[in-house]
Amino acid sequence: MAGQMVINKRVKYRPSVKEAGIPGVLLMTEDKFTFTPNDPRSLARLEVDFRSIKGHMVSKDGSKDALLNLKYDIEGKSRGYIFEFDNFPDRNACRDFVGKILGKIQAMGSSGQNAQTVSAKSAAPVRGEQLSTKEMERRMKLLREDSELQKLHKQLVMSNVLTEAEFWSTRKDLLEADAQRTSKQRSGFKSAMLADVRPLTDGRSNKVTFSLTPEIIHQIFSEKPAVHQAFLSSVPSRMTEKDFWTKYCRAEYLRKTRNRMAAEAEAAEDEELAVFLKHDDILANEIRRKVRRVDPSLDMAADLGDDYMHLPDHGILRDGNKETSDLENEIPVRTFAHDINRHAAVVLEGRALDVELGDTRTVAEELARSKQAELATETSDENIDRERLERVYRMTEIDDLHDPQKLPFAPLCIKDPREYFDSQQANALKALRDTGSGTKPINLSAEEAYNFVMDQISEVLSSGLSDPVVQPETALKVLNGLSQQLSSTKYHFGKNPQESIFDGLPRKDKDELLHHWSSIQELLRHFWSSYPITTAYLYNKVLRLKDAMTDIYHKLQKLKDSAQSDFRHQISLLVQPMLQALDAAFAHYDMEQLKNSNKSRNTPNGFVQQA
Amino acid sequence: MASKLYTDDVSLVVVLLDVNPFFWGGALKKTTTTTNSPSVLSFSNFLNHVLPFLNSILLLNQLNQVVVIACGANTCGYIYDSSETKTSEAGVGGSGRMPDLCERVLGSLEEFVVNDQRTGWGADPTAANAASGMLSGSLSLALCYIQRVLRGGLLHPQPRILCVQGSPDGPEQYVAVMNSIFSAQRSMVPIDSCVIGVQHSAFLQQASYITGGVYLKPQQLDGLFQYLSMVFATDLHSRNFIQLPKPVGVDFRASCFCHKKTIDMGYVCSVCLSIFCKQHKKCSTCGSEFNQPHLVPISTSEQK
Amino acid sequence: MPQVRILAKNFMDMVAALPATKLDKLYENPFICEAVLRSLPPLAKKYALQLLFIDSPISAKTMEGWVLADGISKHRVAIDRLLQLRVFLEEIDRKKESTYKLNPKFQGNIQKYLVYGGSLPRQPMPSNVTVRLPTLEDLETYVLEQWEVATAAINQGFLLQLISSSQVEKLTSFSASMMKFFQRGLLSARENEAPKLTENGFQFLLMDTNAQLWYIIREYISTAEDRGVEQMDLISFLLELSFHTTGEAYNLNTLTDIQRSVIKDLANLGLVKLQQGRKESWFIPTKLATNLSVSLSDSSARKQGFVVVETNFRMYSYSTSKLHCEILRLFSRIEYQLPNLIVGAITKESLYSAFENGINSDQIISFLQENAHPRVAERIPAVPENVTDQIRLWENDRNRVEMTLAHVYEDFPSKEVFEATCDFARDMGGLLWEDTDKKRLVVRGEYHQDMKDFLRRQK
Repeated sequence: MAGQMVINKRVKYRPSVKEAGIPGVLLMTEDKFTFTPNDPRSLARLEVDFRSIKGHMVSKDGSKDALLNLKYDIEGKSRGYIFEFDNFPDRNACRDFVGKILGKIQAMGSSGQNAQTVSAKSAAPVRGEQLSTKEMERRMKLLREDSELQKLHKQLVMSNVLTEAEFWSTRKDLLEADAQRTSKQRSGFKSAMLADVRPLTDGRSNKVTFSLTPEIIHQIFSEKPAVHQAFLSSVPSRMTEKDFWTKYCRAEYLRKTRNRMAAEAEAAEDEELAVFLKHDDILANEIRRKVRRVDPSLDMAADLGDDYMHLPDHGILRDGNKETSDLENEIPVRTFAHDINRHAAVVLEGRALDVELGDTRTVAEELARSKQAELATETSDENIDRERLERVYRMTEIDDLHDPQKLPFAPLCIKDPREYFDSQQANALKALRDTGSGTKPINLSAEEAYNFVMDQISEVLSSGLSDPVVQPETALKVLNGLSQQLSSTKYHFGKNPQESIFDGLPRKDKDELLHHWSSIQELLRHFWSSYPITTAYLYNKVLRLKDAMTDIYHKLQKLKDSAQSDFRHQISLLVQPMLQALDAAFAHYDMEQLKNSNKSRNTPNGFVQQA
Repeated sequence: MASKLYTDDVSLVVVLLDVNPFFWGGALKKTTTTTNSPSVLSFSNFLNHVLPFLNSILLLNQLNQVVVIACGANTCGYIYDSSETKTSEAGVGGSGRMPDLCERVLGSLEEFVVNDQRTGWGADPTAANAASGMLSGSLSLALCYIQRVLRGGLLHPQPRILCVQGSPDGPEQYVAVMNSIFSAQRSMVPIDSCVIGVQHSAFLQQASYITGGVYLKPQQLDGLFQYLSMVFATDLHSRNFIQLPKPVGVDFRASCFCHKKTIDMGYVCSVCLSIFCKQHKKCSTCGSEFNQPHLVPISTSEQK
Repeated sequence: MPQVRILAKNFMDMVAALPATKLDKLYENPFICEAVLRSLPPLAKKYALQLLFIDSPISAKTMEGWVLADGISKHRVAIDRLLQLRVFLEEIDRKKESTYKLNPKFQGNIQKYLVYGGSLPRQPMPSNVTVRLPTLEDLETYVLEQWEVATAAINQGFLLQLISSSQVEKLTSFSASMMKFFQRGLLSARENEAPKLTENGFQFLLMDTNAQLWYIIREYISTAEDRGVEQMDLISFLLELSFHTTGEAYNLNTLTDIQRSVIKDLANLGLVKLQQGRKESWFIPTKLATNLSVSLSDSSARKQGFVVVETNFRMYSYSTSKLHCEILRLFSRIEYQLPNLIVGAITKESLYSAFENGINSDQIISFLQENAHPRVAERIPAVPENVTDQIRLWENDRNRVEMTLAHVYEDFPSKEVFEATCDFARDMGGLLWEDTDKKRLVVRGEYHQDMKDFLRRQK
């Protein structure tokens, strides 16, 4: 069977923990595992159904032996099949496999009612489909949560009207929605400013300590592209990682202490160190690119009023003293606002890496890769520029200087309005003659008719209106008739007719009707989607569906007939559309059948013969 | 459907009278064969019921207004407008033999019939023989009148339309009638229908259903006035409190555009929504060509 | 026959209060049948119409079968009204169910009306005799003038100094005794004191014209017998009048003597205009007269308003009428007057003076709403909510202090006696206030005797 998961590993079987293992081959399939010893004479041959396995245990990664213990119960005592593997990866593969299978079996057991359904199903040959455990679990979950669905599933799948696959194929959306719900949330960047490393002084000596964790390093890399690049280029070719970070910390320290002279001096001596102190060009580029992408109609120009820095009582305090910005300096000062902006940008980008934070080098490389990918997806600068220009043009457009914008439209063209408003009178009249029996047999010339009407008018004119207009008896009869008609409809049809009909029914009938309705819908959906019948499989399916529908049809009829007299009318009102829908399906079936029998006479190799 | 809240009972009733001579002539032939059947009404009897009814509407509130529109076989037109006669010829007064209104209605009715006959001369007499009344035309006239009143000022009476029809539906008027119905719905004018013919009228059923009016087919035509006064005299304000007869079912079927047959399954042009009973290569209304080799018929029974 | 005087809210209530025999006699007049039918609530009209051609009684149950759940109360009102006016006659049938039947006289008259048409009460005069007939517009202005003068006359004590002397002279046309009748209840005239408007008088001013008209007509009718005129004759004449055509001339000779005397008074009110030809004299009914039966019905008054109230409490009235100005002055401060516009502001002070005159907030608000200019009448609400709320709040302000007659008790000999007294007062439900430290309490005045007895027992 293609697609069946099989695991085949070389192992040693240990009848007990202390005994030495018997070398052999372990073969695991969906429902059982077998152990075949290398020595054909050995009696330690095993063939065990997974359903008897209660659980599994493993030895720790890196311990002496790579063991897998599959537990089972014998007479209330817990025993285990212990296998020793050559290496851990082999063992882990088996462990995962066993885990999956046991999970599946457990899920079936726990879902109570469904357990039978599914085990019965899994016992039956599954037609060419192999489900992953996850898929299976999702289905079970849906059935557990939706009792209606479960009922439907039980009725249709258990009675073999539909196969499992057919049933679920129309509910892919449900499954997918469920799958999406379970997908894990990805953790983003921490919003704490880790990259802003603080030196720790112990107070006694002159030593200053910076502590860097992999997480901090990751953040430094993403916030300071220059450091990131320097790391990639110089570690480990020119210096060790430790040296690199020492230098970085020194630069940070110099910056923090604002010892500008010292910083300049050191930067002049050590070009690597200078990198950390200088302006970050990569960052600047990136910012420029971003600025270019801002909506050009937005006025972002800053003016004097925006800057409160030089006013007294304005500005930002960092580490207890006020920041001042003087730009003439060769080593530019990174202000707090810069830092916080950059950090915020990185956090919002949410560039999380999938690698585990451990090795600094891999982190750096991974980051570089993700950045490159990002760049690649961005449109080239030229494109952006052109777009920008167009945008500016659009934004600054002066409407009243242009021609009125003509939106493209397709005119509705009615070739001959007479065809729409009038019609082929003759046809209409013919149809009328077929249906309208009332006036037909009277042959009346126009003149006769008009004269008659005129006579009648002058008759009224000359003799006046009759008094009384209505005979009292007739009037009373009409009044009673109307009152009766009203009282018969008043209670059944309230303001909202559909609702009140249904609500008035007893609960049992209501449930039954609802259930029938949903199963009819399901069946009809499958029925109609099977057409046109192209394969023998579809043919069989339609046959099955038809039988099921006939069954329901009879049930509905019975329901209708057995209803209490006061509800009979309402129930038949509700049942009527269902019956009609079914009738339509039957009629279609019969017609197709007829057509095919005609066709098959001509072409003896029709699919009916194949079936 | 949203409905206006009426606070008083001042009404404007536009009555569409069926004056189709072929219908009434047919009724005459019937009366001669089957004597005194309660289901058949002669035109003079009909007038005997309807005119007092119109009078009673005017009686109920002196601000009430009645407009009568006749629909004949070939034409339709205004016959009577209570607001006009009140001012222009108030001096004449009733003769005491018949209400003022009746004389006026009957007088203009005579003119109308003569005119209708003259218009019909040119047409093919056999085709006209089975023709239905000019329902679509008279509905449009009524709606135009009502629009004028609605736009006239704030203090207008509450308008409604009453169709007293006996002639069978003319499927060729389907589109026009439906258009009228929808515009009535838009201006929230209920269309009441009193069908005095032999068959139910699918047009009027739909008209009343869509616009929130009352559809009634009286069983006892010799008690027509009683039906009119019990059901159709009810003003829109009182309809909030009173139960009026409701039809058991409404025939919602449409007519196809190609053969004007009433159909329950058909093909719809995706461009102009014309309805056809058969599959066409090209829409006869808007000329769109249908590229796809097979269309799936819309069906009323299977909704997916 | 016991004369039960119900407080008539409108004219038809008064008709309804008439004894059965008189009512039945009234229905012999077709015009009264017509007017009564028009005065009915919409549902009642429908009921009357549907039983028009039915002779046998219809059970109440059948009638109820038509009513939706929402309409039960309306249905009751309609049936009650029909029974009150004896349009429906109630009978209890063998099964002890009440059945209804149309009053045969009423039924006959209405049936006749439908079949034969209503005839006019009297023929208008040919136009060659009446040469100088006023146009409808002229008539309209005449009505306004006449009516306002009449209204003003009733309130002359209040409005005298405000209305120009030329108009005051016209007032003499009303007989002094008539005037007194009208003023009864509206003015409080004490001797040697300028007459003052009573609460009713102020409220009267705020009513709409039809209500005012009916108020006066009612007074007029109720005092008719003093003048030797039969009430019923008067009622039927007034109703008849409402079926005349506005603007047509009718010969005075067609009237009875009593009617002729009545019509002079009506002319003073503006219901008719009297004109004298060379040989004959005639009367021309005005809109007020023909609308008499309109205003009987429940339908809201269909007339154009003139007041615009803004959210800033300013009020603009497009009116040339002095009377309007005076009415507005009742509750607002008039700031300036232009030829066709009165501008005012609703202030706390102006409202307080209105409240002091016994006008309440609801009356003011309904006046503003009913007379809202068509432009603002479309809006809901026609009067800004903040204004209506504020008017109500200001009225509540006046009711902040509730006055209760009470007695103070102090100087209790001991705390025990004081507490016992407090408990006693509390048990009676008369304790209003207590001060334990100073041993004082206040008790409602009506319990004073009980308190005295109690305190005596304590000693």
